Amino acid sequence: MDILLQQIVNGLTIGSIYALVALGYTMVYGVMKLINFAHGDLVALSAYIGLVFYTQMAAGGAMPQALTIVLVFLLTAIVVAIFGVLLERIAYRPLRNAPRLSAVVSALGASMMIQNGIMLVWGPNILIFPSDILPATSWNIYGVTITFVQAAMIIITIMLMLALTLFINFTKMGTAIRASAINQDAAKLMGINVNFIIIIIFVLGSMLGAVGGLFIGMYYRGISFNLGWTYGMSAFIAAILGGIGNIPGSMVGGYLLGLFTALIAGYVSSAWAEAFTYILLIMILIVRPTGILGERVAEKV
Amino acid sequence: MKKLFTLSLAVLVSALFAATAFAADTIKVGVQAPTTGQYANEGQGIDNATRLMVEQYNAKGGLLGKKLEVFTCDDEGQAMKAAICAKELVNKGVIMVIGSYTSSAAEAAQKTYYRAGVLQTTDGTSDSLVKNGYWTFFRNSNPNSANAQFTAEYMVNVAKFKRIAIVSDYSSYAQGLADAVTKEIKAVNGNIVYEGKIKAGSQNFTPVLTKVKSLDPDVIYFSGYYADGGLLRAQQKQLGIDAAFIGGDANDNVDFRKLAGGAAEGAMIVNVPTPDMLPYDLAKNFLADYRAKFGKDIPSIWALLNADGLLAFLTAIEKTGTTDTKKLSEWLHSNELNGMSGKLKWDDKGERVGSAFMVYKITADGSYDVAYPKQ
Repeated sequence: MDILLQQIVNGLTIGSIYALVALGYTMVYGVMKLINFAHGDLVALSAYIGLVFYTQMAAGGAMPQALTIVLVFLLTAIVVAIFGVLLERIAYRPLRNAPRLSAVVSALGASMMIQNGIMLVWGPNILIFPSDILPATSWNIYGVTITFVQAAMIIITIMLMLALTLFINFTKMGTAIRASAINQDAAKLMGINVNFIIIIIFVLGSMLGAVGGLFIGMYYRGISFNLGWTYGMSAFIAAILGGIGNIPGSMVGGYLLGLFTALIAGYVSSAWAEAFTYILLIMILIVRPTGILGERVAEKV
Repeated sequence: MKKLFTLSLAVLVSALFAATAFAADTIKVGVQAPTTGQYANEGQGIDNATRLMVEQYNAKGGLLGKKLEVFTCDDEGQAMKAAICAKELVNKGVIMVIGSYTSSAAEAAQKTYYRAGVLQTTDGTSDSLVKNGYWTFFRNSNPNSANAQFTAEYMVNVAKFKRIAIVSDYSSYAQGLADAVTKEIKAVNGNIVYEGKIKAGSQNFTPVLTKVKSLDPDVIYFSGYYADGGLLRAQQKQLGIDAAFIGGDANDNVDFRKLAGGAAEGAMIVNVPTPDMLPYDLAKNFLADYRAKFGKDIPSIWALLNADGLLAFLTAIEKTGTTDTKKLSEWLHSNELNGMSGKLKWDDKGERVGSAFMVYKITADGSYDVAYPKQ
């Protein structure tokens, strides 16, 4: 039993990352009907930027560790948000009225550009986060080990998701986002600045992705220029599983995928984890093409 | 008119010959190595070492009055890219290829070099590399079988581990080593409680480790590469698994310690000596030159073993006075020479003869301590 519980903790940890990254896919899709394939690479970029900020600030040594970490998260989120907005401006806005395929090709191009940019700036080798950023404390509860980093990841992810849900559902801006997701033209007629809404979407998505990227760096420690593809693809599947365009859906999808892969890797084989992921995806698409929670936008049309 | 045609044909043909003669003015050396991607550190080491040695030979006037020229192809450690690299290097007209770092990439390229009569040396340790016995192939490291025998002997009879867990990844090197170790452990009546695999590069190994934990092993043996090994060790400690950790030779890299962080202490690695432990002047001089030129140490013994292969090929050209690869191969199969990693000698399948494995334990300050054999 404790083995199963441990696997659930493992699954929730990786699921947190998937969920955070999946939100970026889902929000952009919800409003723009575009799969932002460069999102995973923004996540990779944030891991590198976070490492730079951390090494710069830790070098001074004057700041308390907790403050340093909070600042690293804030600054990285801001910088990556700027990159996200630039990405929209350069790669997607000129193609907004073009056929959808053009935008997808542009997204793939942007993905390659960011990936190779990371390789040019930081080199092709693995970079390694210091092991002493977060306390190495761990707790043993009935045979289940949970480390400080894992607990922090799960708790922060859930808090961010709650905040996002409240923001989307109970603020004026959130209402405007939902309205733009249903019908951009109608939203414009109601006086909503859709361009501004899209910028907000990219800012929010990039910031959540940045937190995910920093989690990857702090938990798994080794980062490489192509990690965006690995995590981006899984998060994309998570978003589809939960119902792309649906915010609670990608959270569910992220955690579900994390648990699913952990259980398959633990009980069947780690080679099959990926294959089973795709089988799960295909089954969901056959039985319920809109994903588990469905795309809310589609229901309202 | 006909005369003119013949004449122009003759001019054209002689021009072509002149072109080929000009091309043959250099001896072309190929490097097939993962200079980007997961194993970039090792791949760049192989490339740098080759370029350094070639530079040194050229400074002395080259070989047979010809300069040496290096062509590098990045295979990213992947079999598919390796096959493309092999074609590319053969088309460039190289007569020898140094690399690659991973067995999978070396194996995928092997046949192309054999067909083109191009000599190949690699540090790949997978046993399957010598199964064809190509005359063009020279393995420059010790094979998995010798490594496995040593590892099994240490785990079962020296350290007396009663419950052994074996973890590998899906590369042909890691699988080959894990299979060989498993076989040798069974041969000395050891008890294996777990055999499993992780997916290299996936970073998240907790599901597999959780399963391992439930079987309560005394030791976890990992046959894969350092980028995964370091994380595996870190996550093992995180999950509170007290078992000892023994990494196969590909874990011998400074990044293993960085990735494992505090958990690196006490982890053990089975390998031939590290470059700085080599007692030969040849090695000491080359390593010093490498440091002087590139501002850092050669990444590992693997890059050095590839350079040792190059040294053997170049020595063969020097001794035989030809660049005919068939003759070079014959010479290499029937002679013994002093390399940077000791005596270089190959059997008829291209297998290097002799071995010198050790168990290293990583200390608190990150340095190696020889745990076995005691000196």
